[in-house]
Amino acid sequence: MKKNLRFYVAFYLAKLARWTLKVLKRNASYFPGKLAITICPDFLGRIDKPKTIIGVTGTNGKTTVCNILEEALRKNGYELIDNHLGSNVNSGIASSLIEEADNRGRQKKEIAVFELDERSAVKIYPYLVPTYLVCTNLFRDSLRRNAHTEFIFNILNKSIPKETKLILNGDDLLVSNLAKENERVYFGIGRLETDEDTCHNIVQDISICPNCSSKLEWEFVRYNHIGRAHCSKCDFCSPQIDYEVTQIDFEQKNMTIRNNGIEETYDIMNDNIINIYNVLTVISVLKELGMTKEQIEKGLEGQKIVDTRYSEEMINGIKVVTHLAKGLNPIACSRVFDYVRKQPGNKAVIMILDNLHDAATSSENTAWQYDTDYEFLNDDSIKQILIAGARYLDGLVRLEIADVDKDKIIAKRKELELVQDLDLEGIDKVFILHDLHSTELRDRIKEQVREKIEKERK
Amino acid sequence: MEEEKKIEILFPEFCNLAGDSSNMRYLRKCMPKAEFIETSFDEEMTFTKENVDLIYLGPMTESRQEKVIEKLKPYTDTIKQKIKENVTFLFTGNALEIMGKYIENEDGSRIEGLGIFDIYSKRDMLNRHNSLFKGLFEDIEIVGFKSQFSMSYGNNENCYFAKVEHGIGMNPKSQLEGIYDHHFIGTYVIGPILILNPLFTKRVIEMMGVDTPYLAFAQETMDAYKQRLKEIH
Ligand SMILES: [Zn+2]
Repeated sequence: MKKNLRFYVAFYLAKLARWTLKVLKRNASYFPGKLAITICPDFLGRIDKPKTIIGVTGTNGKTTVCNILEEALRKNGYELIDNHLGSNVNSGIASSLIEEADNRGRQKKEIAVFELDERSAVKIYPYLVPTYLVCTNLFRDSLRRNAHTEFIFNILNKSIPKETKLILNGDDLLVSNLAKENERVYFGIGRLETDEDTCHNIVQDISICPNCSSKLEWEFVRYNHIGRAHCSKCDFCSPQIDYEVTQIDFEQKNMTIRNNGIEETYDIMNDNIINIYNVLTVISVLKELGMTKEQIEKGLEGQKIVDTRYSEEMINGIKVVTHLAKGLNPIACSRVFDYVRKQPGNKAVIMILDNLHDAATSSENTAWQYDTDYEFLNDDSIKQILIAGARYLDGLVRLEIADVDKDKIIAKRKELELVQDLDLEGIDKVFILHDLHSTELRDRIKEQVREKIEKERK
Repeated sequence: MEEEKKIEILFPEFCNLAGDSSNMRYLRKCMPKAEFIETSFDEEMTFTKENVDLIYLGPMTESRQEKVIEKLKPYTDTIKQKIKENVTFLFTGNALEIMGKYIENEDGSRIEGLGIFDIYSKRDMLNRHNSLFKGLFEDIEIVGFKSQFSMSYGNNENCYFAKVEHGIGMNPKSQLEGIYDHHFIGTYVIGPILILNPLFTKRVIEMMGVDTPYLAFAQETMDAYKQRLKEIH
């Protein structure tokens, strides 16, 4: 699309808005783009874009994958555009492009990494064709916004441009069937010792064949619908994996990836399977960009998962871990619950997962709690579960339905009154699981935990 | 007697959106001696061969709705007969739409339903409706959530499930939610409706012919219910 008068009006007003917001020290990562698109609806199509655009979409892991990928590219000397600070919808992308463009609307940087909201696909892809599009996974997410996985799959499937090369999670049978006509590569992790033959989660969004409705036969299930399967009647099956993890060494903290028959070993950064997927995803992208093992290693060196999502600290012999567990997102929470139960030692778990916005204005839709595997918290190694927030009564019922012993549960309305009931007797680890919007509460609770440990464990 | 009760859960492998499978998980705890039959999509349905006391169908994706209609269609008369015989049915979310005359897409194309009730539904995949719900079912206040792409229209004046006190009925202009005919209950209220509404759960168990229903975690579910009643106004 060519630049027209309307584009230039939108562009300069957006630049002005951006400048004004910056002067006022206000957030300029959304509004300028919003303004530009309001004035010129096909703005994204008309503005100059970098030669290579890497889009990252999917339910979980988008942000982490983008963070690691951007850092790895920068460490290798690339200058890039990202929407790291902005939103992942069309206005956020437009804002980032406006921000980076010179006063004549030209881009100097050659590469962009954009986190792309799945639902916004219809508003983005007609104007911005990613060179590569990564899809991490497709799971149930916010019921209000994302409805169900088939809805999101259909949106993506209809909007992904034909020219885009896909980099897909081959262990996700929904993702691997996206835009079948497009050029593609798959990444995946081969069977692990911890994988199972059947699904132990509440939710499995692909359990019968999408072509013939027959039962799927699972070669293994990792969690929910992540795993490998084939149809019992027709030829529907998991794809051949291009970037396949053939071995994970949890002690040495590394993994072996096979690509075109060649095996290479990389650090895993963190032992949570979710993060191993994230790192594998990034490596697959870097390989597709033609990077060598040395360049990739240089890019990943010293990186860790950001503190807002995960942190750990030893306090007088007790490990205190904070871990993001996005409320409303059943699979993300289930993964965290699974991680917690599998950690060695005796644990106490503090949970503040309620939606603070809903708590302030209305009553939260708690249906998601019942797609979430609270059952994983019913584990002998978890000695105490402390929940608080507007939905504490619902949380208590949910835990009881998961058959958690009522004596183990503390449920209170006020988040800051929880820690007084924390019982540190015999506890090795305290987990604080929090929603995306509860970081302030998380920090205050962590301080309370610290004080309590310092007082009781000298 | 509870031990003789038989509950059939239809197609739990995909009629399970929005946390709805929890309803049967909770009911199992309330009726530990009852028999629960999970019928998957490629199996023969138990209610077509023998008596069951409750038939449960949860919400599903739009494409699955069409498959379920195909599967149930040959048994339309059996279902009608079961309703007449006061067998209890609980159809949640868009499962209700299957019982209507048709489901209409945005482009006007229609999927023929079972035609058991005098209602029809319209999809609008660009606009998702989300709301909280409070309404009166007989003398019991029902609380819950709606989250859906489609609405139902037609006449449910003599067979509605609940009178709206907060939120919407079968469609945004209706004050009457869902269908209640004999012991057939169909409602757009999704999610853990039985867990959220202990008094209603008790009534459903009574409908199945249990004289003294037992409620699991009665105190805790009642506390949460009372709290939500206060919040939704
Ligand atoms: Zn098949």
